[in-house]
Amino acid sequence: MTETTLHLTTDEIELWAQGLLPAARALHLSECSLCRVEADRERKVILELVQLPHFAPTAGFADRVMAQVKVPTPSDSWKA
Amino acid sequence: MSAASDQQVVAWAKQGHDAAFRELVRRYERPVFSLLYRMVRDRALAEDLAQETFIKVLNGIKSYRPEFKFSSWIFKIANNAAIDHLRRKNIDTLSLDGAPSAETPEQMRATSLQLGDRGESPLDEVENRELGTAIEQAIGRLRPEYRSCIMLRHVEGYSYEEIAETLDLPLGTVKTYIHRARNELRGYLEDRRD
Repeated sequence: MTETTLHLTTDEIELWAQGLLPAARALHLSECSLCRVEADRERKVILELVQLPHFAPTAGFADRVMAQVKVPTPSDSWKA
Repeated sequence: MSAASDQQVVAWAKQGHDAAFRELVRRYERPVFSLLYRMVRDRALAEDLAQETFIKVLNGIKSYRPEFKFSSWIFKIANNAAIDHLRRKNIDTLSLDGAPSAETPEQMRATSLQLGDRGESPLDEVENRELGTAIEQAIGRLRPEYRSCIMLRHVEGYSYEEIAETLDLPLGTVKTYIHRARNELRGYLEDRRD
């Protein structure tokens, strides 16, 4: 078994989905229908996951937090 | 201040600058709230847990060790808050078949959870809209420990090593959780399409 004949591992499929798979392993992918099917399925899920949005808490969240934070006395070294 | 690194902002916060605390909240309120919301799947509760997380982190800012990423520290505390909540909820939840100690049909009926028609509040509608997509529903069916790993990996873009450090898990466990989670997600999503 050589670098171009071994099936891709899950880690390698993730690298491929990110466009980071080394050329020798990409060559295997182009020649192996089993790996291509598996990689395409995995890529669909990864794409859905990376597109998930961040949600925002309700307005005034920072004020509610800060109302309960004890800020120590400022020193003179502050630079904004 | 928005161009400063987290470490610099934390250093300013340690010196007692209110604006630095607010900057840390501004940077992390969405990522922390999103992680918690997807963990507990209840907006109001996620907000309470997010608030608890920030208060704990900001009041304990002097104990923060700069050799670790600030984001890892805050996600660790948020994740622990979610996991603690989910464990408590599991203990408190009555089964549809009644309490585990119930032995007779009468005891089972008396202790069982009663499901009735529930009107949908505006908050429920928001939750349905936000968490109602196929991928969000599939995430909601994952075990909580898989859920936090998959969120940190693909929503926050953490490496496996950073997730292991953040969640105090062995690297191999993190890899296993993420691979299994993606496999389960694929299964759920493909079942829906069939």
